Amino acid sequence: MKNKKFSIGAWITCCAAVLALIALIVYAINVGAAGYFQGASVRNLVLFSILAIVLLAAAIVIGQLKCDGVVGKVLKLVAGCCQIVAPVLLAACLINLISARVEGLGFIYFSNADVALEVQTPENLSSATGSIAAMVCYGVSMLAAIIAAFTNVWKKEA
Amino acid sequence: MKTQKIAPVMRGLCALMAVLFVLATIGTTIAEGYRSALDSVLGTQSYVTNTDADAARFKTDYATIEEMGAAAKNISIREGEEGTVVMKNDNAVLPLPANAQVVLFGLAAYAPYPYANGDLKGGNEDQVDLVDALTAEGIQINETVKKFYTENILNKHIEMVPNMWTGEEVPTISYDHIYVASPGDWGEYQIVEIPPVEFETMGAPANWKDSIDKANSTAICVFARGAGEGNTYKPGSAIDYYGNATGKDPLALSADELAVIDVAKETCSKVLVLINSGNNMVLKEIAAGGSHEVDGIAYIGVINDYQLTGAARVLTGKVNATGALPDTYVADNAAIPAVVNFGGDMYADYEIVATEGTDSRFPGESVANIPAGSFGGSSTYNGGMYIVEAEGIYVGYKYFETRYYDAVMNPSSNAASAKGATQGSAWDYGKEVLYTFGHGLSYLDYTQTLKSVDVDKTPEGNVTAVVEIKNNGNTAGKFLAQLYVQKPYTEYDKTNLVEKSAVDFLNSAKVDVPAGGTAEVTITVPTKYLASYDYKNAKTYILDEGDYLFTAAAGSHAAVNNFIVVQGGTPDGTTKEGVVVKWNLGSFDDTTFAVENGVVVTNVADDADLNYWTGKDTVTYLSRADWDKTYPINYNEVEVKIGDSPKKDEWIKELQGRTYEISNTGAAAEGTDQGARFNAEQVGYEQFTNINDPYWDKLVSEITIDQAVGAVIHGGSRSDVLENVENPVVIQNEGVSGFTTGYTDEASGKTYKFNIHSQTLIGSSFNPELAYEWGRVEGNSGLWINRFHLWGTGLTQRRTPYNGRNYEYVSEDPMLTNRIGNAILQGCADKGILNGPKHMGFNDQEHNRGGISAYMTEQKFRETDLRGFQGALEDVTGCRAVMIAFNRIGATNAAHHVGMLQKILRGEWGYTDLVSTDMMNNKYYFNAESMVMSSITQVADFAGDDAHINQGEGGVDKTWAHISVDAVKNDKNLVEQARQNLKYQLFAYANSAILNVSTVKVATWWDNALTAARTCTAILACVAGLAWIALTLLPEKKGEK
Repeated sequence: MKNKKFSIGAWITCCAAVLALIALIVYAINVGAAGYFQGASVRNLVLFSILAIVLLAAAIVIGQLKCDGVVGKVLKLVAGCCQIVAPVLLAACLINLISARVEGLGFIYFSNADVALEVQTPENLSSATGSIAAMVCYGVSMLAAIIAAFTNVWKKEA
Repeated sequence: MKTQKIAPVMRGLCALMAVLFVLATIGTTIAEGYRSALDSVLGTQSYVTNTDADAARFKTDYATIEEMGAAAKNISIREGEEGTVVMKNDNAVLPLPANAQVVLFGLAAYAPYPYANGDLKGGNEDQVDLVDALTAEGIQINETVKKFYTENILNKHIEMVPNMWTGEEVPTISYDHIYVASPGDWGEYQIVEIPPVEFETMGAPANWKDSIDKANSTAICVFARGAGEGNTYKPGSAIDYYGNATGKDPLALSADELAVIDVAKETCSKVLVLINSGNNMVLKEIAAGGSHEVDGIAYIGVINDYQLTGAARVLTGKVNATGALPDTYVADNAAIPAVVNFGGDMYADYEIVATEGTDSRFPGESVANIPAGSFGGSSTYNGGMYIVEAEGIYVGYKYFETRYYDAVMNPSSNAASAKGATQGSAWDYGKEVLYTFGHGLSYLDYTQTLKSVDVDKTPEGNVTAVVEIKNNGNTAGKFLAQLYVQKPYTEYDKTNLVEKSAVDFLNSAKVDVPAGGTAEVTITVPTKYLASYDYKNAKTYILDEGDYLFTAAAGSHAAVNNFIVVQGGTPDGTTKEGVVVKWNLGSFDDTTFAVENGVVVTNVADDADLNYWTGKDTVTYLSRADWDKTYPINYNEVEVKIGDSPKKDEWIKELQGRTYEISNTGAAAEGTDQGARFNAEQVGYEQFTNINDPYWDKLVSEITIDQAVGAVIHGGSRSDVLENVENPVVIQNEGVSGFTTGYTDEASGKTYKFNIHSQTLIGSSFNPELAYEWGRVEGNSGLWINRFHLWGTGLTQRRTPYNGRNYEYVSEDPMLTNRIGNAILQGCADKGILNGPKHMGFNDQEHNRGGISAYMTEQKFRETDLRGFQGALEDVTGCRAVMIAFNRIGATNAAHHVGMLQKILRGEWGYTDLVSTDMMNNKYYFNAESMVMSSITQVADFAGDDAHINQGEGGVDKTWAHISVDAVKNDKNLVEQARQNLKYQLFAYANSAILNVSTVKVATWWDNALTAARTCTAILACVAGLAWIALTLLPEKKGEK
């Protein structure tokens, strides 16, 4: 086993993991904060987010190991699988979040004039903005994870 | 290319395709849930209905869409003809002579309410405004005034407003200056009417008055008040044109409006005012003796596409005026006892209901007890606000006419006390009431004489009255006959607080009579409506011994005067004397109507009375036994503390929505496929005529526990297809003006809109026959557009003039509402359309509608709002849907109210069909298990394809986390009630035009696109993944390292 340099792929993967973590935090704040989506948790979102982060981290860690022969190939496959599954999980988080929020966002932003004032309270608008921010974060982390999948997490020895 | 370079590309492609596959797959699920919305936006059709014309149970009456459109238009015009009410007609202002010169004043004269097309108004291409309608009748409109109103003040134009879903900009009608169409909820209301001093500033020529030939001109001033869902007028909230708060009633004519009337009087020899509103306006200043008295006043309600054509025919005398007021107009709305307790306020210790993580249904959550808006949005039980409907049965004319009667006949009742008087130191009917219920002037002189009354005093019997109409004029015309009754008010009633109005409207009818001729019209009404509810002693419906007086009269005041005369009193002399027919009941009867539909009728809503909870006489309900001592006070100014109640825990529990709590009542059977299916092959005559047919139990026993409970509590705006049952998808439609979905004729390209009904004008038509014809047209339109479920009429009682939704309802009177509702819904039922009236259960104000507690006696409970619905839900053959109120009855959410829904609706009334909640906006207020147990068949949560209780985190329900299959599987009672509720719903479907047709789901282009996306991405992901694995496993070539 030998030390290697941190590759560009590893850096992108690292970015994807950090972005996913940020997305999870933004989501958690949104669910905890006062407003329309307070307490409105999304099924499996936390689980999928953590799994995605773990897989991305695992890919980075595996990429730092240098093993030759069959073990090396297996490790490459494992790291690659992590890179494939992580964006899939983040995509599932994103679309589940959109699915859970779209009706509420419709109420808040597109209610007719009769009820707009009572729906568009500062708390509800803040809650809606938080939801949208979480969606954007998940979208960006998913894209970063996809890009990372096109790169290698390991590099030639230093 | 070197394998080391290709491998990561393949891996990346695999990831990309896998992501796209997941997005397409989950996206398909989401799209399925919003299928109807997507179809609407994208113009696609997911369900194709095949009508077998020969086998159809329900068939359209019209051979072509042109005939269908013409029939709907005809009804709409007739609503204008028969609903326009001439309230005041002096100096022969009406009818307008041929070629009359008319000057139109007021913003609503050129833009009658509602001006916007949508739910409330059809918006057909050939819709008619007031200028069009009058011009068509030969009236000459002053062009100078019209020009500066339309071009300089209103300046109608089209603004592009983004569509809420697509973002597509759509043309929307707008004006530079227009009255406020939505009053808002309990806020200030600006009365935007341009005062004449601003005319020239706004572009009127300096000499505009010179354009008017005063001697030969009649001014028509039109004033409107807006309305809307979620809207409630607040007394004293008026703001004038300049934005200054006046402290006056928003429903009273403003100084700016009176200034318009003054300039009309200055420039024209006669002035007529048209009231264009569903909310009673205060007209004291322009009525007889008023400081701005005008020659004529007419009511045109809330119009739709064609009603003004009918109204113009009335104004020009082409047809006789036969409309009558469905509400009482008073000099000051503060004189209405119900107004004393309106709007509501909080209990002194409302916070006591809140929980901090202790509610086992919401573990760890803080649930407050503060008001919430229509769309919820905060964690609250919303049970902190209440009102006391202390006026009891005395709503509208029943209060004013009874107090008047007692002032004449029973002075010891203190009817002349100062309590409730707004026009002097002693209560005086003549000063308080301007125009009473049933008032409406006819152009043609006539007399209505009650010839006979037959009372069949059996549970299913009818009162049958024959009224002779004599046309004293020299023109043939239509006339209105109204039947009223006075029931004996006995010592028993006084002792047991059984309240009786001195006059009750029963029913009405119209008849055409030739010039100088006579005609008889027969009016019937079920005898059960003569009974009164005694909630204190007999605890059932009673008929007191004594004389029941019947009369035919032109309004409630004329009727009560007839009773006074026959009883030897001296009436006020404002009405013509009429014949009274007596029917005598020899002995007290507490048995005939004590059993209904095989169910013992007894108290079911003792806890609707605030005194039940406080344990003392906190509330004194209004009684004619002593008007002075019992006149309501504002019970929101009395300190009501939940914590002081001897039933404190029970009260809190109810306010927290825990009407029913899940318990172990035994293991529920899981649903298994037994081969029963909901389709035309299996639902035959025996099944759709008998809900007790074994087929129905077999069918619903197939429904899984998950779906049985899930389908009820996630009913949605369209039904979900249940596993094993294979029921059709049924899409619900709004609204009270008719189906909002239009029909586009492919041949001509013309779009027909059928939501062209006016609920206000059908009310003021007093004509159940016309209402039946509208119901039938409404039903026919459903058959044409292949929509079978509609929330198509409003039957809530107009308790006060301030409810922003009064335009959706019929009247202040339960029996007029009852008879009109009965007729509309019978018409629709005859065409197989599920037309559900709304909102049953005292949704009589929109302010905090989603949580306010309305306290009342059981007599009021049964004889006011519910009686309005009874005519539809019990008396119609085939009324198969109803929407329940948003508010609470007592402390109980109306949708949880077992007494109202299980015992009265399904028990006494024998109703075996669909019951929906109003919008499920707040999981802390609407409790899933309580709604199931009250026999709700669908909770209106507006999502689709979510008939499950396992779609949330950890396999629990997505809305109510305490609900899951595990949580309910040992509550057999709950699960079986859910299946029973679905049986009711499927039975309703079976008896509608839904089973006329087969509904087939077809793949739309976006279905195909999603399928292609899933397939392609799955294949590409697999190929790329395999390539990546292969390239990774290949031995590295020399030099590649």
